Amino acid sequence: MGSYRIVLGLVALAAALLAPLAVGQFWMTLITQIYIYGLLALSVDLLLGHAGLYSLCHASFFAIAAYTTAILQVRHGVPTLLAAPAGILAGTLLAILYGASVRTRGVYFILITIALGYIIWGAVYRWASFTGGDNGITNVPPPSIGSVTVASQTAYYYFALAVVLLCALGYRILIRSPFGLSLRGIKASESRMRSLGYRTTKHLYVAFVISGAMASLAGVLYVYYNRFINPVAASFQISVEVSLMAIVGGSGTIIGPFLGSGIVLGLRNWVSSFFEFHAAVMGIVFIATILWAPHGIVGFFSRLHARGAKTKTAPP
Amino acid sequence: MNSGVLQAINGISFAALLFLLASGFTLSFGLMRVVNMAHGAYYLLGGYIGLSITRYTGSFALGVLGGGLAIIPIGYLIDRHFIRRTGENHLAQVLLTVGIAFVIGDVALKIWGGDNLKVPTPIELRGAIELPGGIIYPTYRFVLILFGILVGLSLWLIYHKTQIGAVVRAGVDDRETVSAIGINIDRLFVLVSAMASFLAGMAGVVGGAFLTLYPGAEWEILIYALVVVIFGGLGSLEGAMIGALIVGLLDAYGRWLLPEFSYFVLFGPMAILLLFRPQGIFGRES
Repeated sequence: MGSYRIVLGLVALAAALLAPLAVGQFWMTLITQIYIYGLLALSVDLLLGHAGLYSLCHASFFAIAAYTTAILQVRHGVPTLLAAPAGILAGTLLAILYGASVRTRGVYFILITIALGYIIWGAVYRWASFTGGDNGITNVPPPSIGSVTVASQTAYYYFALAVVLLCALGYRILIRSPFGLSLRGIKASESRMRSLGYRTTKHLYVAFVISGAMASLAGVLYVYYNRFINPVAASFQISVEVSLMAIVGGSGTIIGPFLGSGIVLGLRNWVSSFFEFHAAVMGIVFIATILWAPHGIVGFFSRLHARGAKTKTAPP
Repeated sequence: MNSGVLQAINGISFAALLFLLASGFTLSFGLMRVVNMAHGAYYLLGGYIGLSITRYTGSFALGVLGGGLAIIPIGYLIDRHFIRRTGENHLAQVLLTVGIAFVIGDVALKIWGGDNLKVPTPIELRGAIELPGGIIYPTYRFVLILFGILVGLSLWLIYHKTQIGAVVRAGVDDRETVSAIGINIDRLFVLVSAMASFLAGMAGVVGGAFLTLYPGAEWEILIYALVVVIFGGLGSLEGAMIGALIVGLLDAYGRWLLPEFSYFVLFGPMAILLLFRPQGIFGRES
């Protein structure tokens, strides 16, 4: 089992490294986008899959980080080395503020995060004098550090891949730490964790802020990839879609959100090339996932795997 | 001074519309524990159907009635075959009903197109009334306020003074006991969900006559309805009334005084309220 997963991981890594050589521009930009949204979905899944909190405001952190970086770079000519961390910082500060929502649970948490998300959407949409309103902020330059500029799409592909891999590694350490374990304990039974002496709300708050910081990082990656940002990035639809990505792929795993991101973005690209109803198709994906695949792809395969293992060990 | 009064009337008439939508939403949650994000899509679809009926028959009243009635079977099917299967998993409900709203929105876009459409109102409602103090205000929005009060009053009477209302209230409190004493809770669910669908569809026609109907209107109105039930407390009819007034007034004054931050004026107080009293003004601890 262990070696099988290592082999699978290495194959995936090799495929990711070699992909730009094998596929054209179109696919490479699509895969870059999959990494970025996958990272956002992974940040949502820290709460969803481990802590059991259903946040629907992660587009806010994503968008605030992206807007901050874009505004600093475009309007004030701030170099990437300062603009990118400033974006992450801005998104994280928002998460520190919005983290107060972990005082609530269940349906109230869902509703409050929807509403908090709309505050940011409303702000970037209506405060047009500062954010550019509907048009957003255009002409974001490619990231450059000193004299090195990540100008080509291939270079940005590798850049995004490196960032995402580092994040996944950090994430793995985080969820395997005692802290990650305590989050899953809270998900399983918060009252029991509390009676064991854990300050559960504090744990959830820290998880919320970390998750927000990850979403902010995804936002900065996104703005340099897309070269422009508009209020769509802050919309409720994005928050919902990334939750769906986490669920489609397999919540509670690391690869799941990336798989889900690939499925959702791939499907949308494919469908919109020949079918104008692409919102309806997305809607059907939502419905089908919830009704028939609530544990996602990874859940499906691991159950298949478990069933296979069971039949192997069963006495003849 | 006058514009302050004007904004108050604006806010109250918007509140009347929000109440129509939020009352169904809140009672569905109270009784069935369902968060139905397709409610906004019911509003838009009901509005479009009412628009077509009004155009065809020339009667606004028929349009309002037809828009509401048309949503009942649609809401019933969605409830039975989709939402019911999610149990009490609220995230699954949210994602599922968002998906349903996407589908309805796209179908509506295909049928009615992407332009802003206004439901035509009868000639008697088109003029304006002059109030004491020289304020001139559209008749339609006054009638809307009266209509909202009428609907609110009837709902309140049904809820508090009739046998069915008593059973629904009991169901909101404790549905296991209600079904244990031999009441068919399933029939109650169908009834409440039909009423919620009817009110949402009707609200679409009524709202479409002054806010117009367009793709995306379903999300705009839904988020207002959500804020209403958050303010008032999920599952409370009185809460929906008070919540609608608060949201209507906050929105009107916010748009007037701080147009760029009107969303903040609306959501800021709500977020603060939620942090300290997550169950809303009238909600009870779960």
